Amino acid sequence: MAEDLADDVLRVENVSKRFGAVTALRDINLHLRKGEVLGLLGDNGAGKSTLMKIIAGFQNADSGRIVVKGEEVTFRDVDHARSLGIDCVYQDLALVNELDVVQNMFLKRELVSRPVPLLARRKMRRLTREALDQIGINIPRLDVPVARLSGGQRQAIAVARTVTSEADIILLDEPLAAMGAKEGAMILDLVQKLREEGNVSIIMIAHNYVHVLQSCDRVNLIQGGQITFDKPTPETSVEELNEIVVEEYRRARRAAHAD
Amino acid sequence: MTTDVDTPRPERQTGGSRAGSSLRRLLTLREGSIVVVTILAIVYFSVLNEHFMTTANLKNLLPYFAPFAILAVGEVMLMVAGEIDLSIGSVYLFTPFMFYEFHELGLSLVICLVASLLCAGAVGMLNGFLTAVVGISSFIVTLGTLLGVGGLTLIISNAAPVDMPGAEVTSKTVQVTHVVNGHKITLPEQVNSVGGFARVFGAGVYSELFWALLVVVVMHVVLTRSRWGMYTIAVGGNRHGAAEAGIKVRRIMIRNFILCAVLAGFVGILEATRASTVTPDTAGAAETMFRAVSAAVIGGTLLAGGEGTVIGALFGALFLGVLRDGLTLEGVSADYLDFILGIAILLAMCINVYVGRVRKGSGHG
Ligand SMILES: Nc1ncnc2c1ncn2[C@@H]1O[C@H](COP(=O)(O)OP(=O)(O)OP(=O)(O)O)[C@@H](O)[C@H]1O
Ligand SMILES: [Mg+2]
Repeated sequence: MAEDLADDVLRVENVSKRFGAVTALRDINLHLRKGEVLGLLGDNGAGKSTLMKIIAGFQNADSGRIVVKGEEVTFRDVDHARSLGIDCVYQDLALVNELDVVQNMFLKRELVSRPVPLLARRKMRRLTREALDQIGINIPRLDVPVARLSGGQRQAIAVARTVTSEADIILLDEPLAAMGAKEGAMILDLVQKLREEGNVSIIMIAHNYVHVLQSCDRVNLIQGGQITFDKPTPETSVEELNEIVVEEYRRARRAAHAD
Repeated sequence: MTTDVDTPRPERQTGGSRAGSSLRRLLTLREGSIVVVTILAIVYFSVLNEHFMTTANLKNLLPYFAPFAILAVGEVMLMVAGEIDLSIGSVYLFTPFMFYEFHELGLSLVICLVASLLCAGAVGMLNGFLTAVVGISSFIVTLGTLLGVGGLTLIISNAAPVDMPGAEVTSKTVQVTHVVNGHKITLPEQVNSVGGFARVFGAGVYSELFWALLVVVVMHVVLTRSRWGMYTIAVGGNRHGAAEAGIKVRRIMIRNFILCAVLAGFVGILEATRASTVTPDTAGAAETMFRAVSAAVIGGTLLAGGEGTVIGALFGALFLGVLRDGLTLEGVSADYLDFILGIAILLAMCINVYVGRVRKGSGHG
């Protein structure tokens, strides 16, 4: 157990978050081991994205503790979380339609010249091209506004932006949502590659059980703002996950009927 | 926020003459259409009236154009961030009066300039705070400060004009030697002059043009090649996403409000110094603001945020100046002037929208 604790790059302890009358997270506990890929499942509105935003420093928790690499932290802002190696691919991607591919890839981590801090566009373009090639994303032109790209291409850029950053704790909020089968497989392959290299730890939110069982070391299920299920992937199955979620749904319906 | 997500289409074959293809390339720029429209207007008036393309007339044109170019550039930085500043009219009026008041305290001209620009910046900071932190729409906030600061100007000036310190005109008589038919004759001539400060800040013939071009060049580089510019676009294009990416949205907004107000105050001082006197004319101040916003908009900057161009604002201001000057030169009566200007603005906007659609390749839908 002590060994487990030391292995955790991230611990979320008793974190709660309310939005007015809605309780998005209630005393949630979650941990992420070094080099592990953790799959996070849950219904719409279960609180998955809220948890990611809190870990990424974008939103503040109402209460609870967050421990990053053994040290308790209270994030001041996104930059603070990023300086600790945490980076998030948000569900809404956080791309700026009016900026081009290169500018979006380097948004908030621009390279600038010296002594006059002007954007080092040529260098950023070269690095963008290299990064996209390395991952295997094919985007013919880098100088077009991302508004003109397809949903899948946009998602690929958002993922590439985070994966090629310095971050070693990577949060992926439904990275496959807009992807076709082939592009989705490419992202899963990318996650697989990172998993084999073992340098980064990943939390991946997905709705597809098969994807999660394929690409993750461990599965967490979040229901009503709490983790209700936590097992290594080899010990669970599509049937079991399905059973739990469907059971939950049936129970809720019976309760509604009883009222 | 409107976004159009198109699939990238193959580059169209560029055929035709070289001039044709470079014109097409110009039109693919955001500011391309207003540049073309402005050139057409200049050609039109040059052909129509031989006096248009004279040095004397170009000097007449400058005050119709240079001050508005600077004001419009400030407005562009705000509009790209998705906000607007209507209060620039009043700040433009208020700042030279503060300059005057500081001078009354016995401060030197340069200190007066800095102090009065700080006052302008304070108005911008207030606008920014109320918009970015309190969360009131900038249209409402700056409508409030437009009236409030206008009223404040009337109070501190007692609604009376003042002479601009440092812009006093001194006349002296000098002997000038002319050569007429090979004979030298020396005649007395009256020469007016103003101090060095005034010549730099508005009274010199090319002073306002110099400042306008300087502001345009610097802010063009800022908007297109600096972090500040990129964050401004991000804040206007996708505010939530910008914040998620870690951009300090409020800081950027407040900074741009301050910039806009300081530029407006600076133009106020240039204009007051040029005229050597300043009248607390709040109606005229509002009109100045409308002209500046028009220049920014017809230059190709969207009110919705995310897109805009500093070069376009320069040409928007030039276009309005050329129209005013050209029509005045033609002897068009003042009664018709605004009517024609209004129609010209609408026409220029239609061309902008059309060219914009072609540029984005989204067809004619
Ligand atoms: N900024 C906000 N303001 C108010 N309520 C919010 C806000 N963000 C989230 N919520 C609420 O908190 C709850 C959890 O939302 P969250 O986005 O975390 O769900 P999710 O698990 O990511 O769902 P999905 O699978 O649909 O993405 C929902 O009821 C949502 O309406
Ligand atoms: Mg979500």
